[in-house]
Formats: sequence, C-alpha cells, structure tokens
Amino acid sequence: MALSDVDVQKQIKHMMAFIEQEANEKAEEIDAKSEEEFNIEKGRLVQTQRLKIVGYYEKKEKQIEQQKKIQMSTVRNQARLKVLRARDDLISELLNDAKLRLSGIVADPAIYQGLLDKLVLQGLLRLLEPVAIVRCRPQDLLLVEAAVQKAIPEYMMVSQKCVEVQVDQEVHLATNTAGGVEVYSGNQRIKVSNTLESRLDLLAQQKMPDIRKALFGANANRKFFI
Amino acid sequence: MASQSQGIQQLLQAEKRAAEKVADARKRKARRLKQAKEEAQMEVEHYRREREQEFQSKQQAAMGSQGNLSAEVEQATRRQVQGMQSSQQRNRERVLAQLLGMVCDVRPQVHPNYRIAA
Repeated sequence: MALSDVDVQKQIKHMMAFIEQEANEKAEEIDAKSEEEFNIEKGRLVQTQRLKIVGYYEKKEKQIEQQKKIQMSTVRNQARLKVLRARDDLISELLNDAKLRLSGIVADPAIYQGLLDKLVLQGLLRLLEPVAIVRCRPQDLLLVEAAVQKAIPEYMMVSQKCVEVQVDQEVHLATNTAGGVEVYSGNQRIKVSNTLESRLDLLAQQKMPDIRKALFGANANRKFFI
Repeated sequence: MASQSQGIQQLLQAEKRAAEKVADARKRKARRLKQAKEEAQMEVEHYRREREQEFQSKQQAAMGSQGNLSAEVEQATRRQVQGMQSSQQRNRERVLAQLLGMVCDVRPQVHPNYRIAA
C-alpha cells in the first residue's frame, strides 16, 4: 500500500531539503573555488606584468647611465682637443714672431755678408753640380756676387770638383723676404732653398719637440725617454 | 493522484531553485574572474606609474649632475690653457733667441758618404 499523505508530504519535504542542501553545498563549493581562482589569476597577472615593467625600467635606467658616460667621454675629449689646439696656436704665434724678427738679423751688412758666404757654400755643397745658378733678392745682388767669389775656391777645395756659378740676373726672390739664397742646378731641376724663411721652417719642424718642451715644460705622461 | 502531482511540482520547483542557485554561483564566479583581470590591471598600472616617476626623477638627477661635471671640465680646461699661455710668455724670448741663432748657424759640409772621384 502507498504511504499516507502525511508520509508522502514528509518525504517530499525531506527530498526538497536534500535538494536545497545539495544546491547550497554546490554553490558554496563554486564560490570557494572562484575565490581561489580569483586570487591565483590576479596574482599571476600582476606578477607577469610587474616583471615586464621591472625589466623595462631597468633597461631604460641602464641606457641613461650609458648615455651619461658617452656624453662625459665626449666632453672630456673635446676639452683635450681644445687644449691641444690652444697649444698649437701658441706655437704658431711664436713662429710668426720669429719670422718677423728674421729681418732684424740681416740689418748688419757685415754679419749678413758672412752669413751669405756660408749659405752659398752650403748650397753648392748640397748640390755637388757642375753648373749652379744662385738666386737672391734684388737688393742683395752685390753681396751675393761677393759671396759666390769667396765660395767657389772653398768648394773646389773641399769637394775636389770644378763648378761654374751664375748669379741669376732675371729672376729674383721677393724683396720683402728676410734674405738668403736659392741655389739651383744648371737645368733648374734641383733646388736648394737656403733662404732664411725656409731655414726657419725646417728648424721649426725638426725642433718641434724641443720647442714644445722649452715652452711648456716636459710632458708628464711620457714614461720612456731616451 | 492530485497529491502526487503536487508533490512532484514541489520537487520540480525545488530543483529549479537549486539549479538557479548553482547558476547564480557560476555567474558570480565568472564575474569574479573578470574582476581579477580588472583589479590586476589597476595594480599593474599603479606600479607602472610609480616606476615611471622613479625613472623620471633619476633622469633629472643625471641631467643635473651632467651639467656640473661638464662645468668642472670646462674650468679645468681653462686653467690648463691659461697655464700654457703664461708658460709661453715666460719662455718665448729664450726660445726665439735659440731659433734665430740656429737659423744663422750655417755649417757647410759635404755629405758624409761623398767619395772623391779618383
């Protein structure tokens, strides 16, 4: 026989309560899991993004450091160049002054004559040519001709060679130069420039280290001196 | 019979309510996950802004110190140049005298390898 109505009701009530309880449990389970997943997901997202940001900013900060170093190096380099250029300018100024003072040397005719004698002889000895042409300033013609006359016998004694010397009457050195001579071979292909300016230029070039040392003191950075 | 269907109705309704509860829980879960993304995004943004500020201040500091350092270098350079100038002033007469002396010091010589032809 079927159960009584009351029993049926009770059963149904039990079943309903059971269903409700199951639903509640399931809902709670879902909620708990959702909290857990929420935390995991959020933590994961934050972590990955954070790492990326940290990496990004570290790289940028390193870049700043590098750029700063590069800029400092450039600045220091420019400064060094500036000092070198200033040194160069000072030396050029000195050499220009020297050139201006050359004309003072030739003021005394006796001294100048002695100088010309030696310059001509030196030119001839450098050339060792059978025919030589001597070029000078127009105002020195007489002095140079005297010098040539003195130089020829000395040359022939030292070198045991004969020489024929002409003083160039057509082409001269500029009148505003300080003095000295140019000696050419017979066909004018070889030239020995023994003017005061060219001597000074040669000197300046060859004596540059000594000039620098005399003007600015020895270089502290050099470790190996002869 | 009527009581049977009533009972079944009640059960069905209870099932329906149960299903709704579970569905609600699932909806809450989905919303919670979306929230996770949004909150994570906000936190990350916040952190990023912090780092950006730090970076900016570091950059400013670097620029500032740069200016100081190059000013120092400038000063050192100027001192060096001045030193060279005064040194040149002191020594130029001596050097000039030496140079001009050497210009006039003419030593005519044959070349050391010169052989006198027989």
